[in-house]
Amino acid sequence: MRILLVEDTEDVGEAIVARFERIGHAVDWEKDGGVADEVLEVQVYDLLILDVNLPALDGFSILKRLRQRKSKTPVLVLTARSQVDDRVDALDLGADDYLVKPFDYRELEARARALLRRSAGESTNQLVCGQVTIDRGSRAVSINGTPIDLTRRELTLLEILAARPGRIFGKDELVDQLFGFDDEPSPNAVEQYVARLRKKLAGSGAEIRTLRGLGYQIVCP
Amino acid sequence: MIRPGRSLYSRIILVIAIVFGAGSLALGTAAWFYARLAADDAYDRLLVGAALQIAESIYAQEGTISVDPPVSAFETLSLSTNDRIFYKVLDPHGAVLTGYDDLAAAAANTGSHEPLISDSEYRGFPVRVAVVGRLVSDPVAPGWAHVVVAQTREARISLARDLTLKALLLVFAMTSLAFMGILFAVRRALEPLTRVERELRSRDPKDLTPLDVEIPREIQTLVSTINRFMDRLSGRIALMQRFIADAAHQIRTPLAGLASQVDLLTEETRPERKEQQLIRVRERTAELGRLTNQLLSHAMIIHRAEVAEFEAIDLTALARQTLINAVPLSLDRDVDIAFNDPPEPVLMRGDAVSLREALSNLIHNALKHGATTRLEVRVLAEGDAAVIEVVDDGPGIPVSEWQRVREPFHTQSATGSGLGLAIAGDVVRAHGGELCFRERSEEGFAVILRFKRLNEAPQLPTAGEAS
Repeated sequence: MRILLVEDTEDVGEAIVARFERIGHAVDWEKDGGVADEVLEVQVYDLLILDVNLPALDGFSILKRLRQRKSKTPVLVLTARSQVDDRVDALDLGADDYLVKPFDYRELEARARALLRRSAGESTNQLVCGQVTIDRGSRAVSINGTPIDLTRRELTLLEILAARPGRIFGKDELVDQLFGFDDEPSPNAVEQYVARLRKKLAGSGAEIRTLRGLGYQIVCP
Repeated sequence: MIRPGRSLYSRIILVIAIVFGAGSLALGTAAWFYARLAADDAYDRLLVGAALQIAESIYAQEGTISVDPPVSAFETLSLSTNDRIFYKVLDPHGAVLTGYDDLAAAAANTGSHEPLISDSEYRGFPVRVAVVGRLVSDPVAPGWAHVVVAQTREARISLARDLTLKALLLVFAMTSLAFMGILFAVRRALEPLTRVERELRSRDPKDLTPLDVEIPREIQTLVSTINRFMDRLSGRIALMQRFIADAAHQIRTPLAGLASQVDLLTEETRPERKEQQLIRVRERTAELGRLTNQLLSHAMIIHRAEVAEFEAIDLTALARQTLINAVPLSLDRDVDIAFNDPPEPVLMRGDAVSLREALSNLIHNALKHGATTRLEVRVLAEGDAAVIEVVDDGPGIPVSEWQRVREPFHTQSATGSGLGLAIAGDVVRAHGGELCFRERSEEGFAVILRFKRLNEAPQLPTAGEAS
């Protein structure tokens, strides 16, 4: 998949490019904020890895302009500034995730993978987790190519979780997304849907985990 | 910051000037009053004397009363050159024998020898009037004849003015003397302050020993406060120097290790050794990164402890969000993460940023050194206390180490900087709470943060969601 890396620190940039090219992605590397912004105007990427401190145009401005153009490209922000403030700023401006420098490259890869998976889902209308394939267009789910039956709500739940593997979704958050105004939502119902979904996905490699008190996450191998 | 207020000197001078000014005014008024009395007293004697002399010259002859005012009587009065004199003499029937008819016969019939003196006005001038009676023992017309003498006040006023002026001169001289004396005294009294200032200024900047100067009792509190402040400062500085020395050691050690491993790596030819060295390089680097973050975080916590304003915080929301953010996606072992929320809301007053930092440090520690399969964060209310527990099923910290691990750089593990607990401890202290531990039991080892719980619930800010 195509990744744009905007990073002016030579050492860091080189390492990121090498790492992502090794696992089969095409990486464009820009060191100047202004140039990066111009590139983003004409070229669509599956993931943007964006440093905050840049010459010419800083990362936050690039992010802001990108979102103003209604681009849905997932953005992972790298920052070496005071953690707390940047986190809030980056997420407010429409970043999908952030990492504080110096970061662990395995963590960077894990987070990038999660964002790329969503990107792939957007473009092919397919979400893949383990052997499970979710076709968002036809709303069909299959394991190893064999279709399985899911109710409307089970499918929605799976879509939500699989769109961001590893992310922890609170029960309340899921209730909000699963139930409309007319339904009587209840956290217990969410538990039941999760239990049924889990049963139907057994042996597919995709695992829905319960984090007591926190919510649920899907783990794809 | 020092705001320059009005100087002590000018404050004292202002007060004294006001007191002296008011005093001089009162004294001047009193002097004027007494000078007038004295002047009246002196000139009244002359006036009465003249009237008596005229009265002496009244005589009766065959039923006719005549008067022949002697020249000497008027000479006495003409001592005051600018004043004018008026007189009249009345026979016992009240008929004017001689003099000015229209001179008011104030209190005419005295019926005695005692002279009567009063203030009056004649022809538009303020005058002093003396009335003296004389018993005429003429067999034809016996009774009291009267002499009325009036004199304008010029001489009296000028005497009174003269007396007052002299008195004022004295008052002024005395006041100036006292004023100068006080200026001198104030300057002398403020001298110990200058001495303290000189002593402080001439000091070596590193010298934070207590001041040793002789000072009056009045500024002893000030100087001992300065001494206490310097004591605290030197304590802080000593702590900081130790922290810097420790931090330098902590940063240099992995840096040296890193440099050595990289050096080895360039020379190494055996692939399996190379692999090992690379792993070491990666470990040292991660360690350095983590340490740098913690040092900065520690500095931020100390800074926030001084400036951040406390707000009402929903501890449950804050802890849940912090836990979600603190768990990395790339955790290499399967740790069961759980959050235990209390049935009732648990609120406290505090700084959300520092609290998040403290808790994420504890979670990180637990994931790195503790938790083998399970990590649980609990929020609970224990009476008046709001409590966060971080429980894991790892080996825990032995009781003998509990005190030491709260200090910065206690590190005993090869990879930890040993700042996490110190950061949490500082945050808890800034919130007036306490950090403690619970020995490893079946459920695991617990690090406990205990704060004062906020009971009444005002509208809640979204404390936990900001990150």
